[in-house]
Amino acid sequence: MLVFLGADYATMGLSPDEMQQRMGKWFAWNQKMQDAGQVETGHALDSTKVRQVSGPARTVTDRAGSEVKELIGGYYVVKAADFDAAEVIAADFPDYDLGGTVEIREVMVFN
Amino acid sequence: MAEENPMIDYLFRHQHGRMVAILCRIFGLEHLETIEDAVQDTFIKAIGAWRNELPDNPEAWLTTAAKNRLIDLFRSIKSARERHENLTVTAAIAVDQLFLDDEIADSQLRMIFTACHPALDPRDQIAFALKAIGGFSRKEIAAALLLKEETIKKRITRARKAVADKIIRFEIPQGEQLRIRTIRVLEVIYLLFNEGFHSAQKDLAVRKELCGEALRLSKMLIDNPLTCNADVQALFALMCFHSARLDSKINESNEILDLRTQDRSKWYFPLVVAGNDMMNLATASGEYSVYHYEAAIACEHLRAQTFEETNWKDILKWYQKLEALNPSPFNLLNMAVVNLQQADFSAAQDVLQQLEEDQLGQRKYLYHGCWAEYYKRTGDAAQAIHQYDVAISMVPNDLEKEYLLKKRERVKAD
Repeated sequence: MLVFLGADYATMGLSPDEMQQRMGKWFAWNQKMQDAGQVETGHALDSTKVRQVSGPARTVTDRAGSEVKELIGGYYVVKAADFDAAEVIAADFPDYDLGGTVEIREVMVFN
Repeated sequence: MAEENPMIDYLFRHQHGRMVAILCRIFGLEHLETIEDAVQDTFIKAIGAWRNELPDNPEAWLTTAAKNRLIDLFRSIKSARERHENLTVTAAIAVDQLFLDDEIADSQLRMIFTACHPALDPRDQIAFALKAIGGFSRKEIAAALLLKEETIKKRITRARKAVADKIIRFEIPQGEQLRIRTIRVLEVIYLLFNEGFHSAQKDLAVRKELCGEALRLSKMLIDNPLTCNADVQALFALMCFHSARLDSKINESNEILDLRTQDRSKWYFPLVVAGNDMMNLATASGEYSVYHYEAAIACEHLRAQTFEETNWKDILKWYQKLEALNPSPFNLLNMAVVNLQQADFSAAQDVLQQLEEDQLGQRKYLYHGCWAEYYKRTGDAAQAIHQYDVAISMVPNDLEKEYLLKKRERVKAD
C-alpha cells in the first residue's frame, strides 16, 4: 500500500492553473499504473473535515484537515513483488516538490 | 516521468473566472473572498475525483460541483442573506438560469466593469482583474508584473476593500456611464496586454498568458452587443497584430530582436487574419480612436515582406494622425525613429529637439537610443557612443540593456 502524507493542496495557495497541472500528473500516474496492471484500488481522501475518535471514552473531535499535522491525502493498493518494486512505482508520485511523502507498507495477508 | 493528460489548457483558470463571476452575482461582491475560496475547493475536489478517471465533460462536472458548493454556501452565509435584501431577490431567480452560457458571459462582463470601477486605485485594478477574472494566483501575478508577491497581496486586499466599502453594484453600467467606464476598461485591457508584450519577463509562456487574457477579455466585450463598439474592435485587432509577432521578438538565446532582425516567417498568420477581419468591422463607422491608428501602424509592419519594404511614409502618416488625436511624447519619439528609417535626418533632428528626456519617464533611455541612432547614421560615432552610454546607464531591463550594449559595440567596431 502507498499512503500519501502531507502536501494538502487546500493550504498551499495554488492557482487554478497549478492545480490543473497537478491533476494532470495524478491522472497520468494512475494511467501508467493501470497500463502496467499494478493498481488494485485507491482513493483520494477529502481533507476539509476530519473526525477523530480516541480514548476509552471514545472522545469525538471534529477538526479541519489543515489542523492535522501529517494528513493522509489518499492511498493506492498496488501489486509489487517487494519494497524495491513498490519504490519504483512510488517514484512517480506527483507531490514530492510540495513536501509530500509516500509511505510504503505491506498489506498483511493471512492464509 | 508519467505522461501528462490531454485536458483543455487553462480549463481550471477559465472556469475559475466563470464561477467566481456567477457566484458574485448570486451572493454579492461583498462575499468575493469566500467565493474565491469556495471555487478553489471545487478544484481540489476535482483533483481527487478525477485521479482515476476523467469525467466525459470536465466543464459540466465543475459547474455541477460549483452549484453544489453554492448550496453549501447558501447555508453558511444564511445570516448574510437575512442582512441583504438584495440577495433574496437574486436568489429567487432560478439558479440554473445563471449557468447558461449567455448569463455566464454577462456575469464576467460585470466583473470586468467592477475591476475597472473608478473607486478602485488604478494600480490595483490590474491585479484585481487578474485574480478575480483571470484566475491567476498572487504568485503568478507577481511574476507576470515583476512585482513582489506582498505588493500584489496588498493591492488585491485594497481593491476588495474598496469594492466592499464603496458598495459597488455588480452590474454593467448604462448610458453615458457605460461609455465612460468602457474607456477605462479598454485602457486596463491594453495595459494588461502591454505587460505581456513589452515586459522584461523572460518566460515567454507567462507573457503569452497575459496577452491571451487581454485578447479573451476584449473578445467578451465584442461578443456582447451592449459593450461592443468600434474602439474595442480596433483594440482587439491591434492586439492580434502585435501577438502575431510575439514569438519572433526574442531569439533562442533570449536576446531581443528588433523589427529589422526578426524572422518574419515566424509571424503567426492566423492572428494576422483575425486582426484584419476585426479591423474591417472596426473601421466601418469611420470614427477612429487611438487603437485604430495604433492598429494601422502595427498592420503596416506586418504587411512588409522584408524590413526594407516597410511603408514608412504611411506609418508616419498614421503617427501624425495619432499625435493629432492624442498628443504624446512617445508618438514624437516614434516619428523620429520613422524619420531616421526614411533617412530624413533633419526631420528626425527637429522632432528630437522638441522632446526632453524627462517627458518619457522610465523610458527616457529610448530617447537617448534614438539620438544615438541619429548620430550613427549621420556619421558622428563619438556622439553616438556617448548617447548609447547615457541610454545604457538608464535602461531598467536587462534584455534591453544587452540590446543597447550590442549596438554600441557595433558602432565602436566600425
